Amino acid sequence: MAASLDLVGRSGTGPREAADWSRRQVILTDLRSVRGRAYPRVIGLMREPSWVLFEILLPFLATSAYVFVYRALDAPQEYVGFVVLGGALTAFWLNVIWMMANQLYWEKSQGNLELYFAAPMHFMSILFGMALGGMVMSSTRAATVLVIAGAIYGVTFSVDQWALLLGVFVLTLGALYGLGMVLASLFLVWGREAWHMGQLMTEPVYFVSGLNFPVARLGMLGALSVAFVPLATGLDAMRQLAFADAAFPAGTPPPAVEVLILAAMTVISIVAARWMLIAMERRARRDGRLSVRWQ
Amino acid sequence: MSSLASASRDAARFDLARTEGRGLADTLRTFAVAARLGWQLEANWTDPFLFFIYSVAKPISSALILVVMLEVIGGPAGRAFRPFVVVGSALWSFVVSGIAGLAWSILEDRERYRVLKYVYISPSDFLIVLIGRGVARLGVGLAGVVITLVVGVVALGVPFEPAAVDWPLLLAASLLGLGSIIGLGLLMAGIVIQTRQESWSYPEAFAGALFLVTGAVFPLTVLPAPVQAIGLLTPLTWWIAGVREALFPGGPGSIGGDGSLFASVFGHANPGHAEIVGALLATGVVVTLAAVAVFRLSDRRAKSAGLYDQTTGS
Repeated sequence: MAASLDLVGRSGTGPREAADWSRRQVILTDLRSVRGRAYPRVIGLMREPSWVLFEILLPFLATSAYVFVYRALDAPQEYVGFVVLGGALTAFWLNVIWMMANQLYWEKSQGNLELYFAAPMHFMSILFGMALGGMVMSSTRAATVLVIAGAIYGVTFSVDQWALLLGVFVLTLGALYGLGMVLASLFLVWGREAWHMGQLMTEPVYFVSGLNFPVARLGMLGALSVAFVPLATGLDAMRQLAFADAAFPAGTPPPAVEVLILAAMTVISIVAARWMLIAMERRARRDGRLSVRWQ
Repeated sequence: MSSLASASRDAARFDLARTEGRGLADTLRTFAVAARLGWQLEANWTDPFLFFIYSVAKPISSALILVVMLEVIGGPAGRAFRPFVVVGSALWSFVVSGIAGLAWSILEDRERYRVLKYVYISPSDFLIVLIGRGVARLGVGLAGVVITLVVGVVALGVPFEPAAVDWPLLLAASLLGLGSIIGLGLLMAGIVIQTRQESWSYPEAFAGALFLVTGAVFPLTVLPAPVQAIGLLTPLTWWIAGVREALFPGGPGSIGGDGSLFASVFGHANPGHAEIVGALLATGVVVTLAAVAVFRLSDRRAKSAGLYDQTTGS
């Protein structure tokens, strides 16, 4: 026991002293928690060979189907590029829905949730760890789809503003995973409906985000999507920046404005996630549902 | 004393006949109970309105994505292909439900409820239990198909003539297609027995790959010849072509056409009804037998490796 106390650097003469942590100890423990929660997702990349087939190759084939739809219609080549970029970003959206939003409900079903709450760390560390691990996991799939599909289907990117494109990508991930953190608390409260909500937020969101076509074609619906759905905003901004030469239907804001929207979404979602986590914890403790499984 | 000993001997005697069960009656009862359980797990606890929305939102959104893609490129000229993409995307939701249903039953029971080992050692045939569990999701998928088609006709202007429907072809293609989908679901169930919790997305990924080669939303002609060949060996290709031809006779087809592999091999542009049904039957039988073989192999390996008793997590 003494050895373990020394390990975390908080030896004391009694429990009260041991519980009195310095700011450094708190931050270090939270950072360790982030790393610990991200670890299984990152290391899982190397320990499950079937993952390569099912998470990379087969989704790439699904993306290819939409490429061939455009080919069957003799569409301009940049539309193939739209599909490839959209296919790459779906990796992040699926990860957000199934491995962020649904995760806390899963953890509850597996009996881990009460351990998280009992552990001496801020729960946001768990969410950040899940997000970080998920980003690494999904980035490999997205990069593979981009590289392979780009090479096979002859997609030519025309980028004038690399820094802005990188910024949009980072902010899109921030907004997406911020939304995932918010949804994680919501889904936990919704219980078993979480599964259905996850299903409900896949194809319909692809549609309103203009996954395979310019979102401006959806008119008012597209405008609302750009304002409120990070996938739509990020995708539209990235398309404008990655296909600078393409004739784009008018109707969506320029990338610089969409950067601001994404930044606002990121900040708002992270603050909302923290608030919702506190509210959810309070409600769950009050109702005694933290450890009640499968409901 | 002697009667007591005799009674004790009778009680201890192992009645072999009881282990054999009641054959078909037991199988049917197992199937019915598993199907009911599947439905209860899937739907009967949920808010009916939310469940309805969830069941139809996915296929309708898929169809809308394709319809907008047609509009973006083809404009009014692309509307001729609306029946093609609406039927393809509606049927595809059924495929995904069928393939995922069996695999998710394994994952749910092993990872979430942790009862797979108990189900496995119960007197019921495990294969029948799985198929019964999958039927509930097939039912949900079927509702999605019907509603998507109705939305296609009512809201998207897909021209539909009930009198023109080829009902015998529709019935034959539907029955044979259903068998093939269950076969593919069984194949996927055999695979997820071997993999870990993250396998939730595997059935959809597998279905997504088949989406490319089956001509669900574009004609096979645009694919390279070797990929067309893979498509022609897949029962789903023939099923979709059969249903499409039955619902919209004479409309754009997915298999043949100028320059297609089918036309170059068989010498005529498009398959006839008998060819569609014959090919669906042949490929369906092969896929189903292969799926059963893979499932049995996987089952044997799972038993020897203790996989039924193992939960994963990440």
